[in-house]
Formats: sequence, structure tokens, C-alpha cells
Amino acid sequence: MERREALKKIAYLMGGAISATTMGVLFESFTIYDPEKNTYYYSANDEEILAEFSEIILPTTAKSPGAKAAGVGAFIPLIIKDCYPSNLQEVFKNGFVTMLNKCKTKFNKEFLSLNTEEKNQLIVELKQQAIDTNSEPSFFLLARDLTILGYFSSEIGCTVAREYLPIPGKYDGNVEYKPGQKAWAT
Amino acid sequence: MNINTDLKKQNTYDAIVIGSGISGGWAAKELTEKGLKVLMLERGMNIEHIKDYDSAMKAPWEIPYAGKLTEEQKRTHPVQIRDHIYGQANENWWVNDLECPYTEDKRFDWYRGFHVGGKSLMWGRQSYRLSDHNFEDNARDGHGNDWPIRYKDIAPWYDYAEKFAGISGQNENWPLLPDGQFLPPMDMNCVEKSVKERIEKHYNKSRIMTIGRTANLTVPHLGRGSCQYRNLCSRGCPFGAYFSTQSSTLPAAMATKRLTVRPYSIVNHIIYDKETKKAKGVMVIDAETNESMEFYAKIVFVNGSTLGSTFVLLNSTSEAHPNGLGNSSGHLGHNLMDHHFRCGAEGSAEGFEDKYTYGRRANGIYIPRYQNFNGDKRDYLRGFGYQGGASRGNWHKEVAELDFGGDFKETLSRPADSWTMGLGAFGEMLPYYENKVYIDHSKKDKWGQPVLAIDCEYKENEAKMREDMMYDAAEMLEAAGIKNVKTYDNGCYPGMTIHEMGTARMGNDPKESVLNKWNQMHEVNNVFVTDGSCMPSTACQNPSLTYMALTARACDYAVKELKKKNI
Repeated sequence: MERREALKKIAYLMGGAISATTMGVLFESFTIYDPEKNTYYYSANDEEILAEFSEIILPTTAKSPGAKAAGVGAFIPLIIKDCYPSNLQEVFKNGFVTMLNKCKTKFNKEFLSLNTEEKNQLIVELKQQAIDTNSEPSFFLLARDLTILGYFSSEIGCTVAREYLPIPGKYDGNVEYKPGQKAWAT
Repeated sequence: MNINTDLKKQNTYDAIVIGSGISGGWAAKELTEKGLKVLMLERGMNIEHIKDYDSAMKAPWEIPYAGKLTEEQKRTHPVQIRDHIYGQANENWWVNDLECPYTEDKRFDWYRGFHVGGKSLMWGRQSYRLSDHNFEDNARDGHGNDWPIRYKDIAPWYDYAEKFAGISGQNENWPLLPDGQFLPPMDMNCVEKSVKERIEKHYNKSRIMTIGRTANLTVPHLGRGSCQYRNLCSRGCPFGAYFSTQSSTLPAAMATKRLTVRPYSIVNHIIYDKETKKAKGVMVIDAETNESMEFYAKIVFVNGSTLGSTFVLLNSTSEAHPNGLGNSSGHLGHNLMDHHFRCGAEGSAEGFEDKYTYGRRANGIYIPRYQNFNGDKRDYLRGFGYQGGASRGNWHKEVAELDFGGDFKETLSRPADSWTMGLGAFGEMLPYYENKVYIDHSKKDKWGQPVLAIDCEYKENEAKMREDMMYDAAEMLEAAGIKNVKTYDNGCYPGMTIHEMGTARMGNDPKESVLNKWNQMHEVNNVFVTDGSCMPSTACQNPSLTYMALTARACDYAVKELKKKNI
């Protein structure tokens, strides 16, 4: 029975660790329906800003185009508007506006005029805030999670960054993994 | 000319089958193949094989909202969203909960699919026989009523069902999980093979691990194509590679030219004839026009899923059957059971960093029950089996660490370094008389029908079992060399495994049961019920294969009795 007690302890600790990650924000779907309607409209300019934001999270590299090319700029507001309850839409919108204001106070520029170094600096700050607030839902967490989701479910993410097999035709659970080989998209 | 007589003749068949899912499809096939003219009634829309599998060939980027549910879908499907079954890719195959409400005296997650094929289109396809140990458990420990059959009664029908449905798997000669007529087994991956070897060695073969027995074809079978390893089964298979009504039983029944399928036909009740003491037909509400109509037949097979069938029977009241058709025992609607799951352990496998997989296998491994058997004694009754598997996933700890940038993207584009291996248990639930459903007349569905109320809960035996479901899994994984083993119990409510059973149970004693050993109503001998509602106990195996075998067996009996003019 001692072993069982030890396992119980591990279960408890792991349980705590898991709930603190951002994976919870992305995958624990928000199953409580909230009847309040969102009225915030994301303009083409907003989508452009979100595209640039997502490009910092998952930028174009030598191996594959980034989140902007994958259409994440339009994907984020679509999901926020149609798939999130109003309280999280509110969190997202407020954080988005705060970020835009910060560009003006910190750099005296519009977001779209920031250079890559400045955008990185901004996002490092947002990331630190998310860590400091123990990963409470925020604009940064939602936008980053949706960037990852949107990118890896896009055609570019599935077929260029990863590899997609529409009809594998067979299963082999013991193939050699070549270093650097792409993950299968699903 | 009497128009009413003509209409009556036009609406008269040899047999009516209520429902078109796994057991309804089998009933339609068996009865038509034995020469009967059959009407199969389905309450929902038609779904045509392949043609109507709208998302089957869609790539991930073609699925709306990257698969996430919209707020509107959550609004109209408040029950279906409770677990991760209802998804964007096949969302119109799940019931609109607002149109079809029910009452939860206690939480019960009722997952329903109203369309031709029913849940046979979305089922998990795991197919296991029950053993004599299962058939004897009720009698042995006194919970529930004794099964009126033993393994020898159903064994030839398991053979028959497996040969037609096409079940792939491995014979193991395990006493609690009888062997079958299997197509070649799917392969275990390298980690699963290692875990199997180490578990079986550690426990000296008192526990075994086998590849899942699944209704997916590993070779072409009876004109259907073999599995292409896409793991998109729940969208419908364009290759017909898994068993469903559409891929298998419906084409066989249609080939006889004796089957009529009528979608959008909600059976409200079975019409009882007090002169003949038989059912003479059914009253149907057309789901599109709200019009009601009657159909007549010599025999009625009730296959509307456990709770759907039970509703129809409870709603079929008459002077002779004031508490529901064939319910003088008072057991109709009682003894509701489900399995319980969401409980087990997982960890990481090291030493396989140079191995990966090709193809997506819609199957895992199975560890059949070993508890309370052959010297293994627990402080609860019955037992559980495990489903699980190993995989090399995509996500990395960097996701949790809020990383971003080019290196982060490259990391996410590659598989994880290590493999994970998990075991999740499916536990048996005891039959309790007080776990029940009944008709709630205070609420109405979209068509003005009263609704079902469900009052069901797991009890102490299940709670005790869950401890072992977690820790046995952890111990086995550790014995198999798996690292970072952690247990989980994500909680479970009845209904969640979608294995609801028991509300019109079989038995030898008409005072204790609704159906006899042929799935025939004790009191109304031309009514047969062969879906999950007939089960006196759940065992811990996935039950659909047993419904197939029982249905084929009952059809054989029914037609013989019909020919002998006994019904």
C-alpha cells in the first residue's frame, strides 16, 4: 500500500502542475454557454495587427512560412467572435486595446509601425505579465493559443511546417525516425 | 372500395423495426433475409452511405473553426458538449438537446444521434465477447437477476455476427474474454509491444495485453474496403471499412428488396390489441409534418437505443398495460446501468526516440479483466478492463512555458522527443433497481411528446473500483518501465461511456424481468427488444457486439416461431 500512497501524492502534484499551464486555456473547451452577445467588431486593420502579432509568435523561417501567411490574422477574431463566451471576448478585446495603447505610450508609435525588435519587446512584456498573473486568461494567452491552433490547422501548418497524409493506407508503429523529420499533421 | 382498408393494407408489413442503429440494422438484415417484408422506422434524417459523409474527405484546414464548437452550437447542444464527443466535423449527427429535452433527477449525460444508422456511424467500434464468467456474475454475487442465457447459447451468434461485421483482433485464449472469428489483427507499435512483453512477464501471464478488437477491416471483406488508417471513422468511412448500418447491414437488407426505410418517423407508442394480446403495430409522428399515422405488422422489433426503446415501451400504455407495455414486473425503466471510465494512468516511454509511426491507427490496446478471478480478490465486486495505447505526440513543454518565435515554431513542427503510454479503464457498474427512468409529463419535446426523466447514480462499488482502476494502471506501467507515471480520475457521470443498458432486462422469471431468453417480451410475445436495454448486467466489455449477436439470435427465433404460428 505504500507504493499506492506515493502514487497518490504524485497524482496530486501533477494535477496542480497541469492546471497552471496554458494548455488548459486552449483545450478545456468553454462548455458553459453564455447568452450575452458580443458587439465588438474587428476591422481589417485589427486583423492586420493580429496577423503581425501572430507572426511574432510563429514567424516565417527558412523551413516554413509563418502565421501571417497561414491566415491567422483573420482566424483569431473569427474564433473569438463565434466560439468564445462574452466574458472571454471582453478579456481579449480589453487586452488588445491595452496593447495598442501601450505601443503609443512606450514607443510613441502605432502597433503596425513597430519594428520587429519593438514588437518582440512588447510581447516579452505581455508574456511576463501572463506568468506573473499565474496564467489567468488574457489577450496574450488567448491570442498565442489561437495562433498555435490556427497555424497548425492551416494548410501551410499541416503541409509545409508538418506533413499531412490524407490516406496513409497502412499502419506501421515501428518506423525509423530521422532526426529533424516533421511531425504528422492530424 | 374502402379507403381505410386500403391504407391499412398499404401500411402493413410482416415486421416493424423501430430504430436503425447497430441492433436495428441487424434486425432489418436478418428479418428481410429470412423472407419477411420489413419496415424500418428511423426518427431522424436519412444519411446515405458515402454520399452524405460530408466531412469524410476534408483536410484539417477545411474543417470550420479548426474543429472548435461555436457558442451557438453550445447553446443548442447543452448536453452533447459535456464531453469531447460532439465535434465540428460531424456536428449535425448529434441531437439538438433543446428539441429533445429530458429531465435529470441526477446528472446523466445522454448522447444521442437521430438519423439513419444512429450511433453505428459514430461508435467506438471496440468489439468484445462476454464470457461465461460475465453471464454468471449476477447469480454468483446476487446483484441483479440471473442471465437467462450462458455463453454456449450466444457463442454461435457471436461467430455469426463477427463473420459478417468484420472484426479484426487476436485470439488469446483468455477465460474472461472469449476468442472469436477475427480478421488479421492490427499491429501494436514498438512501445506497446515492449509494454505488453514486460507486463505479461511481470505478472506471469496472469494479466495480458492484446491489440484492440475493432470493427475495422484489416483486409477487404464482403465487398467492403479495408481500413486506410486515417483515423477519421466518426465522420463516416468512404471505404466502408468499419461496421455501420450504412456500410454493412442496410445494403444486405436492401438487396432482398423486402426492406422499406422511413426516416423522420418518431415512434410514439406500440399499439396493443387486447383481443389477441399482441402488438398490432405502432403509432408514428412524422418529424417533419407532425402528422400522426399508424403502421401494422405481425412482429415488432424495438431497437431505438436503450433509453429510446424504454421510452416507447413506457409510453405504450393501455388498459391491459397501464404502466407500460409488458411491465407487470415493474422492472421496465429500472436497473439502468452504464460503464464508468475517465480513470487510469499514463507516463512516458524512454528509449524509443529513434522510432516513429506511419499512418493513424483508429485502435488501441486492450487489457481484459483479471480482477476477482482466479485467485485475484478485491474489496469490491466485478471488475474492469483497460483500453489504451502509446503514441509519439506533437506537443512540447514549450507550449506551457509560453515560448514564442522561430525556434519554438520549429520545435512544434516536429514530434515530441518521448512517447507517451496510457491505460484508461472501463469498469462494470452493478444493476441497482432504484437507478431508473420514467416518463415526465410536465415537459414536452418539439413534437409534443412527454419526455424521459433519468434518476441514476454510481454507488460505493463503483467508487471503490475506481481506486484500483487508477493504481493498477500505474503499477502495470511502472512494471513496464514507463517513466513519470501519473494517475488520473477525471470523474464520471452515468451516460458518459454511451453504454447505457438494462432498462428492459432479460430473465427467466416474468416477475423479475421484461424479456425472456429470446429477447421476447414475457407478456406480449410478438414484441422483441434487442438493444442495450435487454442487458441484465454490463460486464466491463464494450457491449455493441453482444447486441448484434443477441439481435441475430432473436430474429432467428422470431421467424421460426412465426412460421410455427406461435406468434
